[in-house]
Amino acid sequence: MTLKRRALFIFSLLQIVWLAGCTEKSFTPIEREKSFVASLNIQEPSLDFIDEKGEVMANWLFEKAYSGAVLIGADHVLLYGNQLSSIDLYDLTTGQKRFTKKVDIGTTNVCYSEATHQFFIANSKTNTVTSFDEEGNELASQQLGNYPMSMAATKDKLYVINYKDTKLSVLNMDDLAVEQEWPITKSSHGIAIIEETNELWIGGHGEGSKPNSTVKRYDLLSGEQLGVIEMPLMPIGLMKADDEILVVSHGRNELYVADFSGTVKWHLQVGANPFVVNKFKDLIVVAGYDDHTLYFIKDGKVQKAVDVGKGSFQLLVREE
Amino acid sequence: MKKIATRIWLLIFTFLMITIVFMYVLTDYLYEQLYVEDTASTMIEVGTKLQTKYVDGPVTDELITDIETYNDYSNLNIFAVRNPRELSACVPFDIDYETLIGPEERKQLLAGKSVQKIGYEPRFDRQLISVVLPLVDQNRLEGIIYIYFPLAKISELASQEVVLLFVSAFVFLLVMSFFVYKGIHHIMRPLNQLQIAVEHMSQGNYETRVLVSSSDEIGKLSSAFNEMAEAIQREDEARKAFLATVSHELRTPISYVKGYSEAIQNGFIAKDQQAETIQLIVREANRMERLTNELLQLARMENEQKEIVLYPIPLAETLREVEQILTHQAQKRGISLQLTVDEALIVEADEVKLKQVFINIIENAINYSYGQSTVEISAVEKDGFAYITVVDFGIGIPQEDLPHVTERFYRVNKARSRSDGGSGLGLSIVEQLLKQLQAKIVIESELEKGTKVSITMPLMEE
Repeated sequence: MTLKRRALFIFSLLQIVWLAGCTEKSFTPIEREKSFVASLNIQEPSLDFIDEKGEVMANWLFEKAYSGAVLIGADHVLLYGNQLSSIDLYDLTTGQKRFTKKVDIGTTNVCYSEATHQFFIANSKTNTVTSFDEEGNELASQQLGNYPMSMAATKDKLYVINYKDTKLSVLNMDDLAVEQEWPITKSSHGIAIIEETNELWIGGHGEGSKPNSTVKRYDLLSGEQLGVIEMPLMPIGLMKADDEILVVSHGRNELYVADFSGTVKWHLQVGANPFVVNKFKDLIVVAGYDDHTLYFIKDGKVQKAVDVGKGSFQLLVREE
Repeated sequence: MKKIATRIWLLIFTFLMITIVFMYVLTDYLYEQLYVEDTASTMIEVGTKLQTKYVDGPVTDELITDIETYNDYSNLNIFAVRNPRELSACVPFDIDYETLIGPEERKQLLAGKSVQKIGYEPRFDRQLISVVLPLVDQNRLEGIIYIYFPLAKISELASQEVVLLFVSAFVFLLVMSFFVYKGIHHIMRPLNQLQIAVEHMSQGNYETRVLVSSSDEIGKLSSAFNEMAEAIQREDEARKAFLATVSHELRTPISYVKGYSEAIQNGFIAKDQQAETIQLIVREANRMERLTNELLQLARMENEQKEIVLYPIPLAETLREVEQILTHQAQKRGISLQLTVDEALIVEADEVKLKQVFINIIENAINYSYGQSTVEISAVEKDGFAYITVVDFGIGIPQEDLPHVTERFYRVNKARSRSDGGSGLGLSIVEQLLKQLQAKIVIESELEKGTKVSITMPLMEE
């Protein structure tokens, strides 16, 4: 009798779990034609979608400890975490998960190439970069230096900074074959590729407790160091805009705007401990990690400050 | 086997040790608490004042220098830090070096709160008490003021004095133990004397006494011991006297019997006198028999532990029966018995024992009356009790002998001894019996006039 009852209880419990599993959590959908800048916040993982007026369109609150996100095409967002053993792809228009893919723990960064419709996962545990197609099928993998993290893709090349190493790896996007290795300083972070001048700029934190305060310029093809641009402490957020390079220095809370020749056009103190900068239509957006605020800058002035979740760490931009 | 004194001494010694250790630990703890609290509040006070030197924007070289200058004149260690690497600014990134403050502390500092830390600090490689105050400008942690002070242990502070402390604690312990030892011995001395006295007593020295020098428990014990010793000594003497008396009492008739029978055996006594001599022997043998009977009776009564059962008895009837038994004996001496008794009296008693009491008393009255006199026996009710009196008119008892007449073998006239036929046990037996019957006896007497014996005994309960 009791055995029967217990069996019934367990069955009901399983039923509930199964039913609960069925109703996959879905988030507020983002209309296909809307432009947005999304802030990925990592202290309490969430995504805040904000339109050009500075209005919050949606807030996706996650239970998983995501540490990064990347847009895959125009309608998908891929979420990953350094301590997570899977990546999740969400549909923006439905707000629902499209697929989950098992990966090794240690994902540091994911880069998407629009040209080849591939995304690349850098892993700090296995020290590899692996390429996938948009459906999450693994294509190729390559062993790199210690702690690959910062990545940038242009044409058929993928540039990968080995964060705890002294080299930058240039890979062929097709088979991920290492084509070049450039000597760089340790703790480098942040890449901007300027095709117009055939240059690649990288920033960095600096080694040990000694902070770095320069952005280094390299020849995109040969890897030759062309020069050094003095910047405030720890420039790590680099972004190429139409005719300028945006740099944020999180040690001095400064946004520097330089032309392609490396001349600083103007600068502005903005945010608290900002790690990233991005261009959203005619606005420059800076995310303050410590003050949980996005700053919308136009004509060298802060137009609007928008509160976001704690620990704003990445900015995703979709322009329609 | 440890002596009590040693045990008490050990106990006190242990308590002393515990107290000293406890005091040491408590002092250390209190010192550290007060010391830490005081240092922390000083540090916060100094830090808060220095904080006012910072206005806004990045931390300037001037401010760093100012704080360094202050540090040169302060007994606290103070420095300002503006390197964001040290302030965990790069926390989301994997950092491979030890920062001065951790991510959680950074959060607290960003909120404008100071951070207080006590414990080991790897950067300085020692135990510290430290206070970190933020220099914040619009949510930006521009720098910190770091104040620390080595958390010196009491032993570290007073490394010289600690030896002195331990030595003085040790000496104190020694001195205290010595005095406690002496004190306990002083207190225990009468007890030791008492113990020796008890040993003497057990060896038969009943005259042993102890000196009572205090009125405390030991003093009371000592005087109780003295009383006990006195009682034992008295009892011992009484026993010896009793034995002497018994042997003396028995020896007299035995020597008579022996002497006369030997005389007959050896033909020293003429035939015609032999019958008389044999009568003497018989009389002495009877006396011996009576003596031993009475001794036996007394011994038996003393051994009778349990209470005897009492039952209602008509007093008048008992007295008349006794009168009948003794009438012949009285008549031989020309004495008349006069009985006046309340017929309604019924007493709670044992008939055999009650008769024995009356026989003994009335026999005594007959024996010590002058010839041709009367022995008056009366029984009335008085205050709810039966009140029986036996009055004779005879030689009486001297006042000084009255309290002793119930003692065994006590005779008023020592010389008179056996001529009047008494064994000296009669009244002892009476006293024992009356005790069993829950009755009381009072003897009044006047020399050459007569004696009055009054007995009060319980009536049957209605």
